[in-house]
Amino acid sequence: MAEIKPFEFKQCVSLLKSTGKKAKNLRELRDIISIVSDESIFHHTYQYFLKGHILEYTNDFAHWAGESLEERALAEHLSNIDPYAFKNIDGLRQELLNVIDGYLENFPEPREAIQGGEFYFNETITLTFSAGIRAKNPAEFLIAVKYMDAAAVYYHFYEARVRLGVDDFSEWFEDSLGRKEPAGKIRAIDPFMHSIEKIREHIIEAVEEDVRTGMESIGQ
Amino acid sequence: MITQYSGIAPKGDLILLHKLGEKLNNRSFLHINSTRAGGGVAEILQRMIPILKDLGIDARWEVIEGDEKFFDVTKKIHNSLQGNFENITDDMWRHHYEVNRANAGRLNLDADAVLIHDPQPSPLIEFRKSGKWIWRCHIDVSHPLKEVWDYLLRYCGKYDAAVFSVAKFARAMGTDEFIIPPSIDPISEKNRELANEEIIETLNKFQIPNDRPVILQVSRFDRFKDPIGVIKAYRMVKKYNDCVLVLAGSPASDDPEGDIVLKEVQDYASDDADIRILLLPPFSDKDINALQRAATVVLQKSLKEGFGLTVSEAMWKGKPVIGGATGGIPLQIIHGVTGFLVHSEEGAAFRIRQFLNNPEMAHRMGEQGREYVRTNFLITRQVRDYLSVWYAMENKGRSVLEL
Repeated sequence: MAEIKPFEFKQCVSLLKSTGKKAKNLRELRDIISIVSDESIFHHTYQYFLKGHILEYTNDFAHWAGESLEERALAEHLSNIDPYAFKNIDGLRQELLNVIDGYLENFPEPREAIQGGEFYFNETITLTFSAGIRAKNPAEFLIAVKYMDAAAVYYHFYEARVRLGVDDFSEWFEDSLGRKEPAGKIRAIDPFMHSIEKIREHIIEAVEEDVRTGMESIGQ
Repeated sequence: MITQYSGIAPKGDLILLHKLGEKLNNRSFLHINSTRAGGGVAEILQRMIPILKDLGIDARWEVIEGDEKFFDVTKKIHNSLQGNFENITDDMWRHHYEVNRANAGRLNLDADAVLIHDPQPSPLIEFRKSGKWIWRCHIDVSHPLKEVWDYLLRYCGKYDAAVFSVAKFARAMGTDEFIIPPSIDPISEKNRELANEEIIETLNKFQIPNDRPVILQVSRFDRFKDPIGVIKAYRMVKKYNDCVLVLAGSPASDDPEGDIVLKEVQDYASDDADIRILLLPPFSDKDINALQRAATVVLQKSLKEGFGLTVSEAMWKGKPVIGGATGGIPLQIIHGVTGFLVHSEEGAAFRIRQFLNNPEMAHRMGEQGREYVRTNFLITRQVRDYLSVWYAMENKGRSVLEL
């Protein structure tokens, strides 16, 4: 029997950098989005969930449009963009521009943000490292995932999608353990609708059920 | 030293600190500022240097010396960087440079990484010997007096990188600019856990009743902290909710207006026995800690603010907080999640009433606030970020670094 590859928990932290660019209205936001670094687009979209708490929106651009410009419809359009649907940052960048351009055609004079409420374009340097914990089976995984830093949940649930197109957890359950059911349940968690702590809870639920089922079947 | 943070700071931060400590082992890290005691920078350096040493880094902290004229000039520079008009003559700039030149002769500037705090020692870059030089700006320079900023850029623009506390405090400098918020130390006298007796002792000392909810604001008596607005909000609350208001602050020796504002606040409070105005002497950390722990709701109703770390201090104690939406306060208070942001006296009164009438919500937000501070505003995160900047500069051009 082939040896099971253990799950190595990793995590990441982000070091924030200012690009020195800021926008005080939608047209400036649009123009800067068209030229700013890939790292900045990545930070304001993919890394939104690194904040750890759920807000009304799914990326920083939507958040700013809704809260600072009070352009709620635009915020809704921007929130509906799924960054994982694009093969590269330029695809995502173009979609952001399409949504903003479409809005500007209908509402050519959106309001300006108040002083201090401008959109500040940042980017990050990401440091990844081993969390020093590995799981060889679902029960060990369950204990580990309960007590991991939220940054580890982020790394394997969100950041993995950029690397693999899918989260690391379900990938391990399916590929290494051959357990399709918990893998399917983890994949069914909507990444845009929960805080990291809620994501953790849903993963625990999925794996706990699998562990329970596994233990009961041994007892029969 | 670092082991004292186990079980308090996020484990990942401690793991990364050790990994960075291994990468930068025995290398020298020099910090330079302009005062050994007093102010947030000195406070954090006192705590940070032992942590760095404990991680195996050869950390040093030097302080520049200057005469009265020098500190007059740097005070003017400081004010004008925050947008106030000051006339800084060529002679003053020359003196600023000459004092730094004298310090460069006195100090050992040889280090692998050098972190220069604030504008006072910024001309030291002219005397760099080796290593990576980073300028750490603790103040808001988003709207400076242009000619002062332009002059200072002849120094600050030569650094390998700059660090600001908040993105909106920064200015484009043509160099790498990192954003690192300040932090609190959870095991310091101001933030450590206190026994109930210690809290009662402080309440008795200041004759603060503990039979009713206590609303607290800890801040200097400065108009930007809006102490009069806090009293107005308290009076609106008092109509339906009996409570006590405590305004606690230290005298600011560098602020000639402090006494005037204190007098205004005392006059405005009039003879209301439920308003306690406390003028705390320096080194009152334990009393501040006790007051924050005794409070039911903590306010920081600033109209203008730097980072406003008193917000994180209160959140760390699990308190529901209400803050003015200014400076670094919105970075700490996520509205409706870790506290409430307000824009008026009426807003402050409304939120105080909400907390007083919904203890469960107050508790929930307090807990969320504590966790938010734990993951974002503890000293271990700040040390981690400083070392990460140094490490990133040695691996320039890479946006992902695997340790």
